[in-house]
Amino acid sequence: MWHASAPRTSGMVGLSLGEKHFIQGGIAHDLRCDGRKRLTYRRISVETGVIPHANGSAQVRIGGTDVIASIKAELGKPSLLQPDKGKVSIYIDCSSTAEPAFEGRGGNELAAELSIALQRCLLGGKSGAGAGIDLSSLIVVEGKICWDLYIDGLVVSSDGNLLDALGAAIKAALCNTGIPRVQVAAGTSNDEQPEVDVSDEEFLQFDTSGVPVIVTLTKVGRHYIVDATSEEESQMSSAVSISVNRQGHICGMTKRGGVGLDPSIILDMISVAQHVSAQLINKLDSEIASAEAEEET
Amino acid sequence: MGIVEGKESIERCGGNGMVFEKIHLRMEYVSPEGLRLDGRRPMEMRQIRAEIGAVSKADGSAIFEMGNTKVIAAVYGPREVQNRSQISNHALVRCEYSMANFSTGDRMRKSKGDRRSTEISLVIRQTMEASILTHLLPRSQIDIYVQVLQADGGTRSACINAATLALADAGIPMRDLVTSCSAGYLNSTPLLDLNYVEDSAGGPDVTLGILPKLDKVTLLQMDSKLPIDILENVMQLAIEGCKAIANYIREILLENTKQLEYRRGV
Repeated sequence: MWHASAPRTSGMVGLSLGEKHFIQGGIAHDLRCDGRKRLTYRRISVETGVIPHANGSAQVRIGGTDVIASIKAELGKPSLLQPDKGKVSIYIDCSSTAEPAFEGRGGNELAAELSIALQRCLLGGKSGAGAGIDLSSLIVVEGKICWDLYIDGLVVSSDGNLLDALGAAIKAALCNTGIPRVQVAAGTSNDEQPEVDVSDEEFLQFDTSGVPVIVTLTKVGRHYIVDATSEEESQMSSAVSISVNRQGHICGMTKRGGVGLDPSIILDMISVAQHVSAQLINKLDSEIASAEAEEET
Repeated sequence: MGIVEGKESIERCGGNGMVFEKIHLRMEYVSPEGLRLDGRRPMEMRQIRAEIGAVSKADGSAIFEMGNTKVIAAVYGPREVQNRSQISNHALVRCEYSMANFSTGDRMRKSKGDRRSTEISLVIRQTMEASILTHLLPRSQIDIYVQVLQADGGTRSACINAATLALADAGIPMRDLVTSCSAGYLNSTPLLDLNYVEDSAGGPDVTLGILPKLDKVTLLQMDSKLPIDILENVMQLAIEGCKAIANYIREILLENTKQLEYRRGV
């Protein structure tokens, strides 16, 4: 469902010619198989704090797609090139429960593709500039100690639009993350490694206002749709994933699929993504807020 | 928390010569009041919760929780055998067990197919195979995938229970439900359903799987040593645990069937 051209080796029954025409025709008429319009999302539900021993976690369900993101913070050393920034790494795993084709090493390729796409969309360039996550807020002692954030994603059930779901889950998990307050022992000289005292009671909330959401526009025929199901993804010619923050700025972009796109269409897609993302951010924010409220009670 | 309690008890009985025994056991797993580290009684199980239909695309799926242990099982099949050389007159049952990176306390990146996972996959496969009526499904294959989301002891048992529910949800013919539960023996007390701390104490740990209606044992594993007469008690305790789980699973299945019936408007 990720690569339109790749042969499907899993047990899922392939689509007949009639079904393919039905999907394509529905999209052309702005009425998709499940009754949605081209730019409508499926139902999104968010649950936070699903993994108690992580610093933050969230489970996001979009229709039949179900993903979990967990965040662990560990103290580490900043890299020599960026002494004033913390480190964030994203790893995605595709569980074989989602699809029999992910058995053994079968899911590794998709997992790697998703990890790279998420890194590009959330972490910005190699230097950490333009990252959706403010890396300088992760620094404890410049050049000496910083927080390393390990973001682990798991695809539990897949029915298309994995990237958007993972992006939303990571955003929700970051909102749920508490990073322990660190006391640095004063009076250590410059070349020594300072001693730290990690509090297990006081937690700092992470600033997540800049974390973007990812909107994937999947092109089927002459039109493009948001939140494609796996059947719809199997009919795509190409897809563009655009990550947009609250201000409407583009934070990252990936294009997949073999067919070329007209540059004017890409610009058109970007403006649509900006419009859709504003709604998505509001929807996610209210879902996250209610999930957090539910967790506290 | 538990370790602190253990230390306190060493100090408390430090004066009366019992100190040796306590240090030997390192930790007190059952308090003098008869409570375990997490506040349970020795013969008490952790809270169990099950849910059917967690994975929309699978033919059958379930979530099973035992305290903080949480697993998802998905069943695909019966379907055509993927590897043609494995076609036979019986259904081919396959199983894969995997642990999420975030399932344990320390974050680790494990590749699939390490020794422990392979062994557990095998155990689950054999246990489930014993209850599936494979001769009714010739030339077909059934895949069982179990994913551990949180590990807090007893993942084997939780996986088997989840797999049973998922197989039942997929409508695969079975002799009986298979349910599993573990029991151990610490501080001269048989304990039901060990959690991670109790499991890593290094004492005997009996994992049992039974067919509750047929009253047959299909899985039995034990680490460490145990006198035979005590093993009998511990096993009996585990059997009681399995039966309690079987009752719960039956309730969940019945509830699910009622829901399906209701939705069809029967």
